[in-house]
Amino acid sequence: MGFQVSDQRFPYVLSIEGLTKDYPGVRAVDDVSFSIERSTVHCLVGENGAGKSTLVKMLTGALEPTSGRMQILGADYAPASPSEARERGIATLFQELHVVNELTVQENLTLGMERSRFGFLVKSDLDERVVATLAAIEPSIDPAADVSSLSVAQKQIVEIARAASSGANVIIMDEPTAALSEREVDRLFDVIRRLRETDVTVIYISHKLDEIFKLGDAVTVLRDGKHIATKKLADVDGRSELIEMMIGRAVFHDYAPRANVSDETVLTAEGLSNDLLKDVSFHIGKGEIVGFYGLVGAGKTEIARALFGADPVSGTITFKGRVVDHSPKSAIASGIALVPEERRTQGLFTSLTIARNIPIMNMGKLSDRGVVRSADERATAIDYVGRLRVATESVDKYVEKLSGGNQQKVVFAKCLFADADLLLLDEPTRGVDVGAKTEIYDIIRTLADEGNSVAIFSSELEEVLGLCDRIFLLFDGSLEDEVANGPDVDIPHILNVVTGGAQGAVP
Amino acid sequence: MSVLSHLPAGAQSTAERPRDSGGRRMSDESFINLLVASVAIVLFLAASAMVPNFFQFQNMVNLVTNNWAVISLGVGVTFLLVSGNFDLSVGGQVALSGVLAVWFAQSTAGANPLATGLGLPTWLAMACALAGAMAIGGLNALFVVRFRVPSIIVTLGTMMVARGIAKVITEGSQRNTNLPDDFGALGNLAMFGTSIKFPVVLMVVLVLVAVFIERKTVFGRLTYWIGANPVTSRLSGVDNARHLTCLYLFSSAIAGVVGILLASEFKSGFSARGTLMEFDALVIALLGGVAIAGGFGSVIGMFFGALILAVVTSAATGLVLSPDWQFILKAVAVFLAIMTQTWALARRNR
Repeated sequence: MGFQVSDQRFPYVLSIEGLTKDYPGVRAVDDVSFSIERSTVHCLVGENGAGKSTLVKMLTGALEPTSGRMQILGADYAPASPSEARERGIATLFQELHVVNELTVQENLTLGMERSRFGFLVKSDLDERVVATLAAIEPSIDPAADVSSLSVAQKQIVEIARAASSGANVIIMDEPTAALSEREVDRLFDVIRRLRETDVTVIYISHKLDEIFKLGDAVTVLRDGKHIATKKLADVDGRSELIEMMIGRAVFHDYAPRANVSDETVLTAEGLSNDLLKDVSFHIGKGEIVGFYGLVGAGKTEIARALFGADPVSGTITFKGRVVDHSPKSAIASGIALVPEERRTQGLFTSLTIARNIPIMNMGKLSDRGVVRSADERATAIDYVGRLRVATESVDKYVEKLSGGNQQKVVFAKCLFADADLLLLDEPTRGVDVGAKTEIYDIIRTLADEGNSVAIFSSELEEVLGLCDRIFLLFDGSLEDEVANGPDVDIPHILNVVTGGAQGAVP
Repeated sequence: MSVLSHLPAGAQSTAERPRDSGGRRMSDESFINLLVASVAIVLFLAASAMVPNFFQFQNMVNLVTNNWAVISLGVGVTFLLVSGNFDLSVGGQVALSGVLAVWFAQSTAGANPLATGLGLPTWLAMACALAGAMAIGGLNALFVVRFRVPSIIVTLGTMMVARGIAKVITEGSQRNTNLPDDFGALGNLAMFGTSIKFPVVLMVVLVLVAVFIERKTVFGRLTYWIGANPVTSRLSGVDNARHLTCLYLFSSAIAGVVGILLASEFKSGFSARGTLMEFDALVIALLGGVAIAGGFGSVIGMFFGALILAVVTSAATGLVLSPDWQFILKAVAVFLAIMTQTWALARRNR
């Protein structure tokens, strides 16, 4: 799509040309160009890591592009900060709500825009304007009501009204339906349609493809940081075309069926349910690598944490023939270890040295009656750093000084030292460079070949297809399907299921 | 272990194996300890140059012996700070345990209510008083661990609870009559034929044991792990709740013993005893490089932090500054010391 400006009026509210963002070693957004028509709902889709959030951060002034340029209604736009972006008419609706519960709806709407004289608030036309905006998009909300009495969906609408009444002509919504019920989603969609009628453009980001077909006028697909296509949704040939654009024609995977997967079951989970999970049941075999694949919010992390005893869950988990007590401590004692999703905040002590990080899960092995054998402790750290090839000159180095890949290897070292029979790996290669990624995959295969079981919780299809013997497909907290991996695995089917196709309406 | 036997063992891949040679870099903690100790020595020399008769062996000994109570409290407070938690209740516990010990030991036939106690034998009175202080520690643990109330709020509350009970028992002042003779023995016991008293020796033993625990035991490691990142420690199988409960009981046991020894030394249970001691214990820990956010610090640092404070305070007295100026002087010393540490650590890790 080219960049066009007509003389009198601008058909495009926002134009992006050659936008690029480099991080050390990674090009997150690569020469992206497209334009967004005025008064439309423009959807942005792509797999995790496709560059959507980086792009949005550049639009909202949270990140500075490495190169490229943007224009709003034909005028150059290079926001230096989120507040400048707001002044230029670009508002963002975040997943977390930013409303003040203690104030009324109207007070929330005028928050930060109040007029005052000598420090006292004065009435202005502002109040009338915001009330009118709210009435136009959602008449059922009383401006005098306390925000604390509203539902999550209504609070979200208050936020949208605030953005609209502050003169935003573009509102970016990032997964706005994540916390909403089905009926609330419909109401939100009505609001978005009414916004469109008031000359507001909505950039809508969602993994749920049904929503995109229901609501969107146009869609832009990103993949690996590159712009794949911008199309009118009317011209898109159903979910399958969209999925194809998102993942590309050929998904590279080098999975080879592994010889020594035994029939012996090591873990059985029955009817796992909690806030998000809906009656999830499965089993994992000894020496098997299983994958849990699904999009953000599908319940991967929740299953991992439930198996590990980190979060409350109902249902039963049987490991090596015994029902596991529900705590990380007893999970580790019975032979389950977790590489958590967020390595810096959940997996590591970044302010401590490598030598002090590695032994924690199995201190009994390095101590006599509570007294640490310091020499053994150190030797263990050195041993594991060597085996996992953590690039460091010393085990006395502080973990915060290591690169992402090497930090992740330290988390692996921790879990391997725990002598676990079942390793739960939640997004094991997120934010890890390509070299370290390959090494981590080798470690995982080696572990399984030695008879350990591995469960990988990943939102990267390539990773799951490259490693796992069986793949569980998740959508919206329930286990929708299970597929055996192999050369002829049905990728479109997998993508259809994880984007809601098994429950969905659109073919 | 069989896991990873296919991967090259460290011994075979010498090229990638980190060297474990003698050139091991000093840890940040040792660096800070050295820094704090140096500051204490420099300040001592500076004070010696300005204050007549300051540079004497007896004076050096006094700097330590006069501060046995605060240094002892500092041990428990340091462990809790390292775990990421406050204990502001230790001063109140000192008052409470002292008052309880006296009340329990006073004979039953007193001339007035303040002279009348429960008439327990001294050892039993002291044991019960210790239990009383540890009940406050248990209360701290209950609210911090179980109800997840921030420790600064909980211990601010129990600080007042403890002192409040002490005030009620002493009717706002003190109990010092009708005590058995052996009540004053422990606090005034001179050791090794010198003038050094039992509480001082106990403090030295406590510090040495604490250093051992901190450096060499699993218990010490757990304290640092929880302080460095409680989420990671839980997900690594640590029972954070149990450990923090131990730490609060440990801290209150120390405070209880300190309170009992002070009551024994003065043969009185005084409800205002230990006032502001919780802050002094906090200040010496911070002076000693303990991180207020947890995960960093040591008992040795705290000990030298106490010496810094002692030198500054006694030098001020020696310079005949009015006691009214001492607070300001302390404040300046604290700010300078903490800024120096932050600066030195940032520079070292640049």
